Amino acid sequence: MTETSRLIQTTLLVLLGVLLAVATINDVVRQTHINHRLVADLATWRSYSGHDFKNVGVDEELLGVASGRDVACGNTTPGAPRERTQLCLVLEGPTRGGRREVAGGWYLPPLTHRDLRAYRYGCFGRAGTGMCAR
Amino acid sequence: MSVALGSERAPAGVGSRRIAAPLAWLCGLLIVAATLEIVIDGSVGHSPLIPKQPAIAGWMSGIGERLGFRVFLIALLAAVGAYALLLVLLTRARPAAIDRRWALGLIGLLHLIVFVGPILISTDVFSYIAYARMGVEHGINPYLHGPASIASDPIFPYVGVDWKHTETAYGPIYTLLSYPLAPLGVHGALWAMKLEATLASVATLALVWRCARVRGLDPVTAVLAVAVNPLYVIYGLGGAHNDLLMLAAMMLAVWLTLAPVQSRGREAGAAAVVVAGALIKATVAVLLPFMVLSRRRLAPLLGALAAVLLGALIAYLAFGSHGVNIVAALNRDAAFVSTDSFANEIAHLFGKPGVFPVDHDLLKAGLVIVTLYLLWLVWRGYDWIAASGWTLLAISVTSTWLLAWYILWPLPLAVVSRDRRLLYATLTIQLLFVLHQISPLLAPVQ
Repeated sequence: MTETSRLIQTTLLVLLGVLLAVATINDVVRQTHINHRLVADLATWRSYSGHDFKNVGVDEELLGVASGRDVACGNTTPGAPRERTQLCLVLEGPTRGGRREVAGGWYLPPLTHRDLRAYRYGCFGRAGTGMCAR
Repeated sequence: MSVALGSERAPAGVGSRRIAAPLAWLCGLLIVAATLEIVIDGSVGHSPLIPKQPAIAGWMSGIGERLGFRVFLIALLAAVGAYALLLVLLTRARPAAIDRRWALGLIGLLHLIVFVGPILISTDVFSYIAYARMGVEHGINPYLHGPASIASDPIFPYVGVDWKHTETAYGPIYTLLSYPLAPLGVHGALWAMKLEATLASVATLALVWRCARVRGLDPVTAVLAVAVNPLYVIYGLGGAHNDLLMLAAMMLAVWLTLAPVQSRGREAGAAAVVVAGALIKATVAVLLPFMVLSRRRLAPLLGALAAVLLGALIAYLAFGSHGVNIVAALNRDAAFVSTDSFANEIAHLFGKPGVFPVDHDLLKAGLVIVTLYLLWLVWRGYDWIAASGWTLLAISVTSTWLLAWYILWPLPLAVVSRDRRLLYATLTIQLLFVLHQISPLLAPVQ
């Protein structure tokens, strides 16, 4: 292998390494922002419902990844996850004081494991209106 | 052409020697402490990092606290830092600062700590046992059905949720090797799997030692670079992954080609061992074209062919035509996407939500180009071991389904290769993988 080809290889490897490093750092920053949002979503659900439950689920994809709107669901009374009537809140906007804006929501019956439109009831708020089948 | 780690050491001065020895001790202690912390806290269970499992390490559970992301990541980063410093010390002051017995003691201690502890991070080992129990206890072909077909079996609750309906993707030799463990019960099989992983690791390290010596490299440096690697210890050994068995076969094949006395039988045997390794886990098959090309003789080709025929016959007799078709399982797994894959990270960098089918095709094309280029280099005289290592590294970088133990594949080759850049590249990729894990440390979710 000539010195020139070795130099070209090394340069390409370094460039690839830089690309991967930038992608990794970008992803860590992105994930950190998502985690901050998750923390705010959980705090908002707990504050809104008045229940300091540990098992609150946050779905970032239900309303579209790019929408910035998350859906946080948790039991309305103490019990195992999803074994009670669940309150789901649509959360949107920037994080202020560790909370996000509640744009609406709905309820799910006990033992509902998938948040489908057909199962929802009692939809409320701007983002909740029209999300229920009935 | 440069040489691998440890062969070109600058002579250490008296001052640096005086500092290097205690520093090496400190690094070793840090790595042991970090591993111990993870294992002890992991034995408490109820952690997102510890899969649900039979209580095999319950006797330790009173000592620690539930393993959270924060403690795990701090321990992992501490181990990575200590490992990096140890590598620097190894390259600069090995003979004076790091004694052979000390190195072997450190390796033995790390293996022991992980062996007595719980299964860490991954549920894969429970899938291995489930496939074995499917075949032996229930008479079900694991190449046709997933563990869900034995839902009443005591191993089933421990199988990862993503794999309950998935047929085995492992080679027929591995599946047959795991069959004798099935009658041992869940606890017995789990211990046997842990023992198998430990023995495979010891075999890999012994072969790394021999290969390094044959190549004129420092064996202590080479072995420590593999065995003390935090990803190797915590993810590889900790999860009792069958990748360790594959690595042992890989290094046996490499050693057979490097042995001072060469013969046609030895070359044919090396190629046959690669095929046997591929019948454990298919990835290692990438070594074969490089090995054959570097020898430029018929013997390795004939050895590989004989092993393929024998392996295919055994697989067919044991599992039917599905046991022979490993490519189908690989294609299925290649379609998966993990959050840690570089492909996914690059997609995010360019504003895409994730990897699309077209990206899979682009990545496969890129991998083919890299492999062809490396084959051409080997034809021109480039080290075939380094070329194989680069290909394994390229597979892990282009894979959309990247797991920590996949980036261990090139490491044993990197430490005995004649191209030092392979080791730097492998360690860089591993470091980026570890860095990608740290977001829970920056923004903990409770």
